[in-house]
Amino acid sequence: MSSPAPIDPRGPRFNQAVLAVALLSGFLFDWRPVVPVFALVLLAGAALGPRYGPFLALYARAIRPRLAPPAELEDPRPPRFASTVGVVFLGAATLAFVAGHAGIAWGLALIVASLAALSATTGICVGCEIYLLAARRRRPGPVTG
Amino acid sequence: MFLARAVVVVVLLFAVALVTRLYRQWREGVRTDRPDHPAVPASLLAGAERTWVLFTTPYCATCGPVEARLRALDPTARVVKVDATREPHLADAFSIRSAPTALLADAAGRVQERLVGADAVEDYVIALR
Repeated sequence: MSSPAPIDPRGPRFNQAVLAVALLSGFLFDWRPVVPVFALVLLAGAALGPRYGPFLALYARAIRPRLAPPAELEDPRPPRFASTVGVVFLGAATLAFVAGHAGIAWGLALIVASLAALSATTGICVGCEIYLLAARRRRPGPVTG
Repeated sequence: MFLARAVVVVVLLFAVALVTRLYRQWREGVRTDRPDHPAVPASLLAGAERTWVLFTTPYCATCGPVEARLRALDPTARVVKVDATREPHLADAFSIRSAPTALLADAAGRVQERLVGADAVEDYVIALR
């Protein structure tokens, strides 16, 4: 099984920083559309690839050219899986808003915001770790951790 | 209501900052401490007096230069690369958290040095000059 092309790990971290700031700001000002909007943002990157994620593309085109090359590249599959988990949570939050359960909705969104902030500041990506754990159990092709 | 939300946001950010700090302390400890390593397997030593065991990953951009640096440092030492993603049990046994990590083992497999990251290898090379 061939591995997908490696990516600059700073791209997903930038994406997670934007996600955390947007969701926390949305919660602060009770601006609910931020949840479905960022569900779609994550979905674009997770389903179609980093080129289609708006903030991943912004990083690749506008920010990365101004930075030094990364010390290490990473497998795109773990962050893509983490984005998928984020889509599920934000999708559920959107449904909770529609059903009138704003508390549950913001709770789910804040979980995503907290994990995104953690990933952006430390590189600890909980969704990626879940993927790596599952991958090690399956013993597939190479994945980094 | 805004104030209550602001408090929640501040608490969350504080929690993230706390976890970040704890993570960095733990990471720094892993970088600088010498945990109780198990003996390096004889299959990696192949009878050499000194062996650098270099843990890498397929996407490690600095592992190639680090390997060349180690080979140039001591041509008599054996350098063996271990892909941590292919040998996860070996990586776990030696508490490998990032690549490159280089372990210097003696003939009996005892770990004498542990260098984490290209900078640590460079510092080690400079210190030996």
